[in-house]
Amino acid sequence: MNLVQQLINGIVLGHGYALIAVGWTVLLGVARLVNFGHGQIYMLAAFVTWWAVAGLGLPYPVAILAAMLAGVLIGLLMQAAMLRLTFAQDLVSIMIVTLGFGHMMRGIAGLVFGGHPQVLETPLSYIDFEIAGAWVTAQDLAVVLVGIAAFALLHFGLERGTLGRTARMVAEDPKLAQLAGIDVKRVYFAVFAFEGAAVALAAAMVAPRTPILTSIGFEEVIVTFVVVVLGGIGSVAGSYAAGLGLGIFTALFGGFVSPAYATTAAFGVLIVVLVLRPSGLAMRAGGR
Amino acid sequence: MAGRLAPFLAVPLAILVFLLPGWLGGVHGAFTVIAIMAIAAYGLDIVVSDLGEVSLAHTVFFAAGAYATGLLATRLGANGWLTLAGALAAGTLIALVLGLITLALREFVFSLVTYAATVVAAAVAHNWDVLGGSDGVSGIPTLDLPLGPLRLGATNDVQLWPFAFGLLLLTLYAVRQFRRSRLGAMAMMVHLNPRLATMSGIDVRRVRLGVFVLSAPFSAVAGWLYAYQRAYVGPDLFETYFLVLMLTAVVLVGRRRLLAPLIGTALIIGQERFLSFGGDINAIILGGALVLALAVLPGGLDGLFRRAFARTAQPAPHSDRRPVAQS
Repeated sequence: MNLVQQLINGIVLGHGYALIAVGWTVLLGVARLVNFGHGQIYMLAAFVTWWAVAGLGLPYPVAILAAMLAGVLIGLLMQAAMLRLTFAQDLVSIMIVTLGFGHMMRGIAGLVFGGHPQVLETPLSYIDFEIAGAWVTAQDLAVVLVGIAAFALLHFGLERGTLGRTARMVAEDPKLAQLAGIDVKRVYFAVFAFEGAAVALAAAMVAPRTPILTSIGFEEVIVTFVVVVLGGIGSVAGSYAAGLGLGIFTALFGGFVSPAYATTAAFGVLIVVLVLRPSGLAMRAGGR
Repeated sequence: MAGRLAPFLAVPLAILVFLLPGWLGGVHGAFTVIAIMAIAAYGLDIVVSDLGEVSLAHTVFFAAGAYATGLLATRLGANGWLTLAGALAAGTLIALVLGLITLALREFVFSLVTYAATVVAAAVAHNWDVLGGSDGVSGIPTLDLPLGPLRLGATNDVQLWPFAFGLLLLTLYAVRQFRRSRLGAMAMMVHLNPRLATMSGIDVRRVRLGVFVLSAPFSAVAGWLYAYQRAYVGPDLFETYFLVLMLTAVVLVGRRRLLAPLIGTALIIGQERFLSFGGDINAIILGGALVLALAVLPGGLDGLFRRAFARTAQPAPHSDRRPVAQS
């Protein structure tokens, strides 16, 4: 009974994790870029969703769109500032710059939304029903469905469609792609806009499960690393499986061993994997 | 040219800086914190500027020094010498373990794993009762350094400032000596041309590990003094603030300039202490400075000044009198 509840929790959590990591899957896997401000975009988007629902009285689906729009804007702004570094493929500098952006976003959120924790109530979170003796809310189901939908779309759009091929070509050799007539700059902007929109969507879906604070986002970044790296960089199906696995692991570890150390344990696994198989993450064999 | 003059300029400059907080009306607290955070940043500076890797784990060494100090002083009543030894040992040991783990990793993966280490350390600090959990360690006694019949110590910021200043001078000297040492030269070679380094018979892994481990005591000793300055140590040391502060201090002014991290730290903490707009706006300024320094000013402020001087003051060679004139 308890095990079933934890398993179902884990499945919901796992879809949330996978959804949070979608943006990074594309960012790192396809365009070979990183964003350490990922967690702070999640935080800001959660606040935007809350503000649109509680402050403006907009319906929840519209609030989700508003949050995604904010995510796109943030993504475009960040990419505009880093364009030179992106063209130079200077990953380490991009990493530090995005850390700086994250710090800025935290300040902006504190300034605009204040330091009080907020709770986002959606109409879906009031509906709950029983599955195999375990309770879930409609919000949980929506997380699972949106998660599956996002990954299905990504799979067909990225691994089958021309869009993915273009982005991959840009990542492989930006100069050659430019010669082939691809507007490289536009691809980079599109990838970052997608990253912002994806994490904002995840925030709008997942954030109703927890209080919204300016300090959230840290854990989401960790989860994203684990999902993207363990799933195999650039593998859509791998990210989905890793997200699901991590969710179930976290729920079971949290339920039966120690809730405080659940994500830490997952991160320990990540460190071991990275150290034992650094090639799994090789951007260009051995770095530069 | 300025390199030969530097040692003669350094002494009056040091005396001037030492007296400055008193002249400015007793701002010893801010100056002490600047000195402490600058020392912590020098640890990172060696790794970033000389080795060419971005470590995101230096806040761990800083926190390790602070935690070791806090725990030894409150639980065992240890004096300043013992806590200093404990802080150095804690920071160096963690760096050694982390350095061995990350020995084969480069660039982005190296940074990711060091970031992971910081996250794990933060979770441990938050949850482990031995370290005080999320309450941290409070009630750390004031600095006390018995030296034979002498009783050195500091009970407030005014008395702590000379220690912080002395430690800062020591750090500057150590970094300067490091850059002139064999290890420093090998680090640069490994940084700029790893293949040539290997062909020249340099053990790249050993150099990397050596520099990484050597960088930790700087950050750890800063943590040692910080624990006494704040009289409290807690998991907030792992917050991104300290990480972003150190990174910004290192990249803001310019790479491989001896005084650059100090000037960077002074600018950041000076703004926070004397020109503060509240925590949120300060965070925006600090984050913005980091973004600007890397995305817009690749050479840091130093590069900007150089370009500005190169354009406007072409005929005047004396414009070269910046205090950061030596490596």
